[in-house]
Amino acid sequence: MHYYHRKKVRICMWVFIVTAAALLIWLIFLMIPQSGYYEQRANDLHERERTIKAARGRIFDRNGVILADNQSVCTITVIHNQITDPEKVIKVLSQELDLDEETVRKRVEKVSSIERILSNVPKALGDRIRSYKLDGVNVDEDYSRYYPYGTLASKVLGFTGSDNQGIIGLEVKYDQYLQGTEGLILTTTDVRGLEVDNTAEKRVDPVDGLDLYTSIDYNIQAYAQQVADRMLEQKEAKGVSIILMDPQNGEIYAMVNAPEFDLNEPYTFTAAVTADENLAQLSDNDKLNQMWRNTSINDTYEPGSTFKIITATAALEEQVVSLNDTFVCPGFRVVKDRRIRCHKTAGHGTETFLQGFMNSCNPVFMDVGARVGIDGLYKYFNNLGLFEKTGVDLPGESSSIMHDINNVGEVELATISFGQSFQITPLQLLRAVSAVINGGTLVTPHFGVKAASADLTQVEVFDYETKASGLSPATCETLKMMLEKVVAEGTGNKAYIEGYRIGGKTATSQKLPRNSGKYIASFLGFSPADDPKVIGLIFIDEPVGTYYGGTIAAPVMKEIFENVLPYLNIEKTAEAAEWET
Amino acid sequence: MKRKKSLWARSGGEKRKQGKPERFFDYSLFFVVLFLVCFGLVMIYSTTAYTSSVENNGDSFYYVVRQGIFAALGLICAVIISRIDYHFFSRFAFFAYIVMLIIQALTPFIGSGAETHGQSRWIVIGPLQFQPSEISKVALILFLAYVCSRTVKSLHSLAGIGKILIMAVPMIGVVVMTNLSTAIILLGITFIILFVASDRYKPFLAIIGVCVAGMVGGLLMFPYRVGRITAWLNVETDDSAYQIRQSLYAIGSGGIFGKGLGQSIQKLDYLPEAHNDMIFGIICEELGLFGAAAVILLFIILLWRCMIIANNAPDLFGALLVVGVMTQIGIQAFINIAVATNFIPNTGITLPFISYGGTSVAILLCEIGLVLSVSRQIRLER
Repeated sequence: MHYYHRKKVRICMWVFIVTAAALLIWLIFLMIPQSGYYEQRANDLHERERTIKAARGRIFDRNGVILADNQSVCTITVIHNQITDPEKVIKVLSQELDLDEETVRKRVEKVSSIERILSNVPKALGDRIRSYKLDGVNVDEDYSRYYPYGTLASKVLGFTGSDNQGIIGLEVKYDQYLQGTEGLILTTTDVRGLEVDNTAEKRVDPVDGLDLYTSIDYNIQAYAQQVADRMLEQKEAKGVSIILMDPQNGEIYAMVNAPEFDLNEPYTFTAAVTADENLAQLSDNDKLNQMWRNTSINDTYEPGSTFKIITATAALEEQVVSLNDTFVCPGFRVVKDRRIRCHKTAGHGTETFLQGFMNSCNPVFMDVGARVGIDGLYKYFNNLGLFEKTGVDLPGESSSIMHDINNVGEVELATISFGQSFQITPLQLLRAVSAVINGGTLVTPHFGVKAASADLTQVEVFDYETKASGLSPATCETLKMMLEKVVAEGTGNKAYIEGYRIGGKTATSQKLPRNSGKYIASFLGFSPADDPKVIGLIFIDEPVGTYYGGTIAAPVMKEIFENVLPYLNIEKTAEAAEWET
Repeated sequence: MKRKKSLWARSGGEKRKQGKPERFFDYSLFFVVLFLVCFGLVMIYSTTAYTSSVENNGDSFYYVVRQGIFAALGLICAVIISRIDYHFFSRFAFFAYIVMLIIQALTPFIGSGAETHGQSRWIVIGPLQFQPSEISKVALILFLAYVCSRTVKSLHSLAGIGKILIMAVPMIGVVVMTNLSTAIILLGITFIILFVASDRYKPFLAIIGVCVAGMVGGLLMFPYRVGRITAWLNVETDDSAYQIRQSLYAIGSGGIFGKGLGQSIQKLDYLPEAHNDMIFGIICEELGLFGAAAVILLFIILLWRCMIIANNAPDLFGALLVVGVMTQIGIQAFINIAVATNFIPNTGITLPFISYGGTSVAILLCEIGLVLSVSRQIRLER
């Protein structure tokens, strides 16, 4: 026997060993440096993400009353291959959920990994379905937005869509705070997408949204809204808006835009919208947009006589007039070729500037406006923020509509002086007057005070810009005195409350076109007159019957102040006005 | 013959005066194989428990029970064969080879393409179905070992080598039509047996050169095979590389120590043929680099034991028989691992003793029986 074959067998063995070594090195390469890469790719393939909704932040009023909350609702789903008794599942689900049996049958019998039967099911009903313990039927809890007070401040708070996203109002503006971050459940599935038992779930917890603390006072808002609703009905008005604000810092206590809508049913037309003939032609979508509109900031109007505060401020600051300067009102003034009437057609006769202000006399203001001139007026408009948005923390704020300074002739100047021929938003007026009565500081009207996590470990306080308007304290003091006199003795006397020092100004604005016979009656008031803590604007759109601001708007402000001033701990003062004049 | 005599003289003459000569039984080999088979059963259970219970109404044991039956049968056969002097089988060498040649030639026509491959590789007789190609490997080993040991002197000449090659060609030829992978193994067996039997080197180096040239030429000629190459090179993107890509995900996600036995995710039908050709991927995923290295090491030990037996075999026939078996196991194991790790292009070869496949495990165990039978004929020297 020969033995060379032994050497050859050893050669073969070496070839095998070398091959094995090469494979082992390759494996080491795959399983150590490349391991992470392949593991990631494999996990991407195996894991199915299920999101966990983050609870949306609540919205509080200034005293901790919850204005927007979350409620638990359930989503009912079926998993086809886990169902053991399909007939019972179909019967129970169609009965309990009040669904057509055919619809349920179709979904139950559909071969899919998961099929949704119904979402937004009340929690109690979800619990009852769970108690049947049906195989393959899942009841998942979920959140939905809930507004405990329905219509309260609907146009301010706003509401959210099904995707937890704000649609209008504060819900939009503070969406990034309220939303939070969705969590994730990563489950391992087989190739058919079925979850595999006994594998560890990876869970990324959701981060709940921050709660929003607002300056709204539930009691004031609710009361103002009640008053507005009553006025709306009494005066058969198109709308009634009431804004109450702290003139010192711009915090808004209440903003009512009656008719309000139900935040829990934001897509259901209110009676007012259904009845409105003007809206009948519009598409449902446009109707909804009209229904959701916040008149106080989304719409502009001719402010009328309340705007005389601004003209008077400009004139006094420019020192082109003093309180005792006398004017003559024959009931009209001819400017160029136009005869512009006073509201008192018989004329006020001879009167001082202060009397003209108290009488809300148009010819006096035409004269004063002419003295100031358009450059002077526009300087103060600018300083008082009338050319800019107020910066309120609500979406969709309108800009004012002003004449181009180069196109202002004598007639335009005359009408601007008593608040006509241009448009601003009610909130812009309120902001400008606040600056006059708070000593010259232009504040930013706002609702949002702070955003904070539920446990208050994370707090973000919002800062708002304030600007010096450049008004001298003397002018501001004079204006406050003049405005108090308007209420005490002038056109605003229906807002007078015994023992309270209230300043204010009435307005009756003609709506365009001038001969339409449609008016806006408004009243702007504040108290205490010497050191204002609250400023309010009431705005009655298209009242039927009497439409004078002094007659219908001023008493409403009185009613509100009678309740709100004691509520805000503003005490009655024994003595009457003591102004240095 | 000289060696045999001296073995006989020493063991019989000095130590055992009146008894039978002391026989050698390679327990190391036997237990390595036993371990591989049991490990294979564990891995098959782990791999198929989930998918099997989905397919077979909750019966997670379907695959492992079938494999277990075949493994048990194979073990019994192996023990029986190991008790028989392997020279006994030499008388069937020609007969078995001719019969298998005919069966293989007929398989494309009478066979059925069971399971996934689509090509006709199975023969069904009543309740019995088997892959004739597994038996053909044994038949070829037996035939070549016998012929080569008989004509060993002529193997010095190219003509002698050529003659043997021509005798093996028909078998390889009929198999290549239905099963390229098996043909490669048959070719490897033929080559190695001839190489070991012949005292020449250069002709074999020349054959390797011709084969490499032929492979390159073949790849250029047949676009289907070129597809495999592009899939191999673009494993991350190529559509037809899905299986290998999944295998790589399994291997890579195993890391150093693996996810633990039974914890594979890729076996949940992500990796096709996870219990079969691709079981190595699942081993890597569950047992990590250590498990994979252990499996490779076990195969090296197995091959090493084969080498020891071959080099101590009482005659060339025995040595060549063992070399044939050793070659088959070595080629299958390493090609399988190389495919699973995308080291070489895809070709469907099972991992010996571990992959699911009744015929394969039973026949492999019979082959181990043959090797053990050779080992029993070794006379121990003291």
